[in-house]
Amino acid sequence: MISGLRKFLFGAGPGEHLPDDVKAALAAWQESDAGALESSHFMTRYVVVDIATDGQNPDSDRITGIAATLVHQGVVSPEQSIFVDLAGSTVDDATVDRQLAAFLRFVGKSPLVSYHVAYVSGFLQQLLKKRLGIGFAPRWVDLTWLLPAMFGETSHKPMPLDDWLVAFGLDVGEGRRSPTANSLALARLLQMTIVRAHAKGVDTVDQLIDESKASSHLRRTH
Amino acid sequence: MSTEQESIDVGQVEAMLRQEGQRRAAGNTQAFLARHAPFNKMAPAALQLFAEKAHIAFYPAGSLIVGPDSGNVRFFYLIESGKVQARQAGEVTVTEYSILSLGAGESFPIGAVTAGRPSTNIYTAVEDTFCYHLPAEDYLRLMASSPEFNLFCTQYIASLLDQSRRQLQAQFAQKASEQQTLNSPLAGIGARNPAAVQPQTPLRQALESMSQLGIGSMVVTDAELKPVGIFTRSDLLDRVVLAGLSLDAPISEAMSATPFMLDEHATAYDAMLAMATHGIRHVLVTDHLGRLSGVVSERDLFALQRVGLRQIRQAIESAPDVAALKASAADVRQLSFNMLAQGIGAEQLTQFISALNDALTRRVIQLNLERHDFAGIDWAWLAFGSEGRDEQTFSTDQDNGIVYLVPDGGDQEALKQRFLAFALDTNKDLDQVGFPLCKGNIMASNPQWCLTLDEWRAQFSKWIRTPEPVALLNATIFFDFRPLHGKSELADSMRRHLLSQASATPVFLQAMARNALEVGPPLGKIRDFVTDLEADHPGKIDLKKYGSRIFVDVARIYALAAGVHGTNTIQRLRLSAQKMNIRGEEINAVLDGLNFIQLLRLQHQYLEGEPGRQGDNLIDPEKLNELDRRILKESFRQARKIQSRLKLDYQVNN
Repeated sequence: MISGLRKFLFGAGPGEHLPDDVKAALAAWQESDAGALESSHFMTRYVVVDIATDGQNPDSDRITGIAATLVHQGVVSPEQSIFVDLAGSTVDDATVDRQLAAFLRFVGKSPLVSYHVAYVSGFLQQLLKKRLGIGFAPRWVDLTWLLPAMFGETSHKPMPLDDWLVAFGLDVGEGRRSPTANSLALARLLQMTIVRAHAKGVDTVDQLIDESKASSHLRRTH
Repeated sequence: MSTEQESIDVGQVEAMLRQEGQRRAAGNTQAFLARHAPFNKMAPAALQLFAEKAHIAFYPAGSLIVGPDSGNVRFFYLIESGKVQARQAGEVTVTEYSILSLGAGESFPIGAVTAGRPSTNIYTAVEDTFCYHLPAEDYLRLMASSPEFNLFCTQYIASLLDQSRRQLQAQFAQKASEQQTLNSPLAGIGARNPAAVQPQTPLRQALESMSQLGIGSMVVTDAELKPVGIFTRSDLLDRVVLAGLSLDAPISEAMSATPFMLDEHATAYDAMLAMATHGIRHVLVTDHLGRLSGVVSERDLFALQRVGLRQIRQAIESAPDVAALKASAADVRQLSFNMLAQGIGAEQLTQFISALNDALTRRVIQLNLERHDFAGIDWAWLAFGSEGRDEQTFSTDQDNGIVYLVPDGGDQEALKQRFLAFALDTNKDLDQVGFPLCKGNIMASNPQWCLTLDEWRAQFSKWIRTPEPVALLNATIFFDFRPLHGKSELADSMRRHLLSQASATPVFLQAMARNALEVGPPLGKIRDFVTDLEADHPGKIDLKKYGSRIFVDVARIYALAAGVHGTNTIQRLRLSAQKMNIRGEEINAVLDGLNFIQLLRLQHQYLEGEPGRQGDNLIDPEKLNELDRRILKESFRQARKIQSRLKLDYQVNN
């Protein structure tokens, strides 16, 4: 009871209750480098991520799935995709922890890309903290703010994701998209964005994140 | 247990999650593939292979995708969205297309990736474009494992045409099955929501509505619309007039109670059986709640009886008058429709329509010959234009003429007047039967086209010697002639004359070629089709003017040059190709293109034409399905190809 409360308030920290292989994987992840080869968008390993939740509130809802796919060397490839299914109620704790560690291995220290990053990162941060005791603070590229900065001729202001997809004539199917379908749609937007960014002299991921932050600041405050 | 050993477990889990990720991402691609040929015909395993292996790449507008300088082609490219332009690299040959544009669902460069060589074309994104890249080795695996994909790639054009034909057939089959047969449910037969009154309605009021609506029976229903009786004209005599019933009496006193009813899911056959067994003329149709939803009469069921080829022929050949022929003409239309539904191709179908139209025309001529006697005189009735070529669709005007010989010592002028009088009657009757009078007055009743053999020969020679615009236009109509009745030797003689003159007059053929090249297929450089050529019909393409006519015109010139006697365009192209050193496969692709355009015209006229109205040749390419659009594009490319060849052969520079 008391240990449960302590765990809840302070987190367990990596180690302690986790299986050995998970501990080792986490240690390896924490020690790993940020991608050395990020001299261009083409070389950068972008991880586009989307989550499914059973509600809208990061404090009380559960993540039911994480989908991620790479944009690397200009292409999106199904072979470089991952899906973590957290919806099953029968899955035991050790399996969930191992899956999350595997997710971190897949992500490495690569920059993450999503839409409404605050929402997605909030869920992931909390989950990884709670389950693995990991402080998850990767570099995030938020397409919500980046797209209006890069494609001002289409919209100066942030728009719902579907409006961008329609504006660009992307074939995204009908109805609600799964996290996988959503991450693939975001990956296509990222592909378009990095070509545009290069044309504007925004040549690296760090510059891209700066653009995204500047855009967020500019468009939120003005 | 060592740490290393343990860490493999997370690695294994990662492999599993990646596998799941790949499967789901592939599912996204599969959904796209399912909407495009030939992938929509491929087995699930083949699609999965494609979807799991294909990358997605983005090409901004203006960027090069692949070209001769890119080295051996490493991918099979499939466009997901956007537009790609293909240009021939190096010296452009006139016999091939120089530029074409590709859209979503189209793939390239099939030849190069199969052969593992560099592309001969330069492929450039003209809009922001997403492409799937299937690596060459996976492409080859797919070729080896999927028969559909193999067929698609090896017989690119032929397979596409074929698929489209099958799709058209499916469409026709559906339409035909929607057409009513004795197996059709009653829900689609007879009058829907028929007039009905309640039992307490006075007879006078019911009779007034029957008279106003022009109907022979009135259904009587209760407040819930459930039928309780039917009142027909025969009841009026027996139960009202003869029984001396007041017109103020409620209809319930005169109706036949407990009328015969069938559920709307029952078939026409059930209704026919009921009428025969119960000796009734009407069957009431009810919905699942037992409420009145329709009435089927005996006459509605008769209309369902199908017609067959032999009956039509017999009916035509023994038709006593024009009215009977008119009915047969309607049967011809119905039968051709059924044949189209059974998968008869455009070539056979147009010939079939022509054959039955010939029979109709011959019978009209025969009927008129009963009143006009030409015994002892050599003459023939000639068909021109599309009828002369055996290529009739349903919206064909009559184009005809007469050739005759004046007997020794005969009065030519008097004979001509007799032929003109006969022709006038025949032209009018043909119009009655359903072949509208020719707006350009190319008819046997026009003194200009009712000529002796010598006059026809002189006329042909004159057109050939002085190929001015009117002469060239006439050549496109009159040089496609065929005898329909009378002495065919006269027509043969005209043909020999024509061919010897035409093939000996290159200036004429060149003028014909220049004329034929004035209108090109409506292929756009960026957009697929040019649809603003007809000012009165924006957004539409005239499939005759910008499609089939191109093939017809080219075929005529080659036939005249090569001395081919046939008038049918397909025959002309096949026969002259041999003499003109055109390769068999090349000419087959051209014929496939023509056949597809003809099939689309027929489809348009049959499926979209309003019954009883002449169909037009105007189609809206936006309304075609994607496959048809692509094939139409390919067919137009074939038109352009054959025009390029004509241009080269006759050295036309325009």
